[in-house]
Amino acid sequence: MAEPADLDGIPQATVVPKKHARLSVVWIIPILVALVAIGVAIQRILNEGPTITIVFKTAEGIEAGKTFVKYKDVNIGQVTAVQLTDDYGKVEVKAKIAKSAQGLMVEDAKFWIVRPIVSLSGISGLSTLLSGNYIGFDAGKSDRSQRTFTALDVPPIITGQPGSQFVLNADDLGSLAVGSPIYYRRLPVGQVIAYDLAADGKSVQIKVFVNAPYDKYVTSETHFWNASGLDVSVNANGVDVHTESVAALLVGGLAFDTPSFSSQAAAAAANSVFTLYHDRSTAMKAPDPVARRYVLHFRESLRGLAVGAPVTFLGLQAGEVASIGLSFDAAKANIRPRVVITFYPERLIAYASTEREASRVRAQDEDKSKRDLLLKRLIEERGLRGQLRSGNLITRQLYVAFDYFPNAPKVKINLSPETPELPVVPGPVVDLEAKLASILDKVDKLPLAAIGNDLKKDLEDLDQTLQNAKQLLSDVDVQLVPELKSDLEGLHRTLAALERAMNSADTTLLGADAPAQQELRAALQEFTRTAQSVRALTDYLERHPESLLRGKSGPTRGAN
Amino acid sequence: MSATALSALQEGLVSCETCGLLSRPAGADQRGRCPRCGAGLEARRRQSIQRTWALIIAAAICYIPANILPVLTTHTLVSSESDTIMAGVIYLYTSGSWPLALIVLVASVMIPIGKLVALGYLLISVQRGSVKNNRDRVRLYRLVELIGRWSMLDVFVDAFVVALVQLKPLMSVEPGPGVLFFMAVVILTMVAAQSFDPRLVWDSDGDGQGRNG
Repeated sequence: MAEPADLDGIPQATVVPKKHARLSVVWIIPILVALVAIGVAIQRILNEGPTITIVFKTAEGIEAGKTFVKYKDVNIGQVTAVQLTDDYGKVEVKAKIAKSAQGLMVEDAKFWIVRPIVSLSGISGLSTLLSGNYIGFDAGKSDRSQRTFTALDVPPIITGQPGSQFVLNADDLGSLAVGSPIYYRRLPVGQVIAYDLAADGKSVQIKVFVNAPYDKYVTSETHFWNASGLDVSVNANGVDVHTESVAALLVGGLAFDTPSFSSQAAAAAANSVFTLYHDRSTAMKAPDPVARRYVLHFRESLRGLAVGAPVTFLGLQAGEVASIGLSFDAAKANIRPRVVITFYPERLIAYASTEREASRVRAQDEDKSKRDLLLKRLIEERGLRGQLRSGNLITRQLYVAFDYFPNAPKVKINLSPETPELPVVPGPVVDLEAKLASILDKVDKLPLAAIGNDLKKDLEDLDQTLQNAKQLLSDVDVQLVPELKSDLEGLHRTLAALERAMNSADTTLLGADAPAQQELRAALQEFTRTAQSVRALTDYLERHPESLLRGKSGPTRGAN
Repeated sequence: MSATALSALQEGLVSCETCGLLSRPAGADQRGRCPRCGAGLEARRRQSIQRTWALIIAAAICYIPANILPVLTTHTLVSSESDTIMAGVIYLYTSGSWPLALIVLVASVMIPIGKLVALGYLLISVQRGSVKNNRDRVRLYRLVELIGRWSMLDVFVDAFVVALVQLKPLMSVEPGPGVLFFMAVVILTMVAAQSFDPRLVWDSDGDGQGRNG
């Protein structure tokens, strides 16, 4: 720097710019960022589930980006688009399903809209009040995957629960609805899941689902009946009120049970068809394959007898009234009430033998003649007769009772016709009426006028007799009373003498100086002295018990 | 006007970026320090263009997941919802508060992309030795540097909301992965703006020497 001018001629060294590394270290940043971004993208793509299309009738409460697809309350997807189908008839909902749930999208998977439902049988889908409706899902069993589904109109009641489905045939639906409970021994064990009119439109087919532990109690002999509402029946047994539960009272319900006489214990196959009975009693009645009809010709009015009224045998129900009508007897030109009853011979047999024998006999079903013979003997020898009885004083329902009437006139019966006639006796009411009538007849025949005349004469005689009696009494009054008075005075004197005698006795015995008293006192003093000497003796004996053996010792030894 | 002005580089001098003192360079390859404030001296920031490019590209890559991935996940009692930035903007707009929607749109979508475009434009124009609109370009650079910090608005809002709305189990908010990428975009663009040397803009104005890349 001292002489810069001298150095002017020296050329400056050329500075060759250092070959910079072509790539700066900073390039690591975009590379890293790119790697991270690609990693995220790959992760996203790998986690990407399928997009499925579900066709709904309406997209009630479904929103793109808001509505989820839930299976067992787990989100497995989300709606990405909602649009109308090409023909504008339905709604197409596209949903992105999570990768983990990809395997669930098979051809028999079910979709439906879950919305809050408040009904008498309960509240469901309450969470949707806050979250909005969502799409419910139920897995299928198929292996073939599918991407387009048609949603169910009504949510399935049963999703993935173990159990069995059965079909019931009913005349009408009653008050049942989807979701109506099914009871077994008053335990809610299932639900009605669907119902439909039968193909011919003449009955209703109800699909029910019985949950798993309980479906094994449904055997081929199980009977279902309608437990809906309050079952009030007025019959000869009185008023019957039946209900399964309060819920069933409101929304209807079904119940099932297996009759005790059933022999089948194996669980029924799924989708077995059963008959739905109207009520418990009809359902639980024993099946009567060989029910036999008999005809009874009563003589009294049938008012109060209804079809279905019980026919009892010795107080036990053994049949029912099948029809009521009139029959014309051409020979006698007579119209009389005719009652056709169904009388179950099995029950007679069952009552006549033990339960096991009964089932065996029923199983054989060959001893019709034996049964007939039994019935014939009962009627002809023991006097078995039918009788109309009033089952209930208030409702005046009648029933047919079979009982023994040994005094009934003997009859011969013929059991060979299709509907044999059984003998009857008049009912107790009719009987009573007849007796009353005969009494009245007798009363009618009494000679009441003659009796009246006689009575009048008798009364006059009686009057006379009473007059005589009165005369007699007045005589008594005059003659007897003075004598009675003197007698009473004599008695008075006697009593006075007795009193004096008593007084003298008093002075002799109880006076202070009476001799008896003095003697008694002396005797008492003597007794007291005796008691003292006895006490002295006992004292001595206590001290010297040996004196009893040795005698009384001298006073010197005794002092020791 | 710019044509007449000399640059320090052309005169073999170095200006301090901190205090503005003009000084002679210490040696050929030595950078030296400012004799007044002690800051490191450089004629031009080293590898400015390359660094800026790298950072811009990184920011551009981050910008894609920042907008695709959710920035906020809201859990309520019955549902959970994830929202991206654009979903938030759309939600604000459809729910009627379009000014808010505009603010979010500008701050979170337009500013980052504007910064990327602006820096890219500056770099390309510098590399091509363009001499047009020098002042405008420098003004653009100042604008980019100025508004860079405001882009953090979204990140701050996110952080506040996540910290404040923790009403478990009724409601809670969690940050989504998108917000990390968004933050990366903002930071990368800010650093890129810093690493860009605006003096390069008028280096081409003279004879083009001393260009540093």
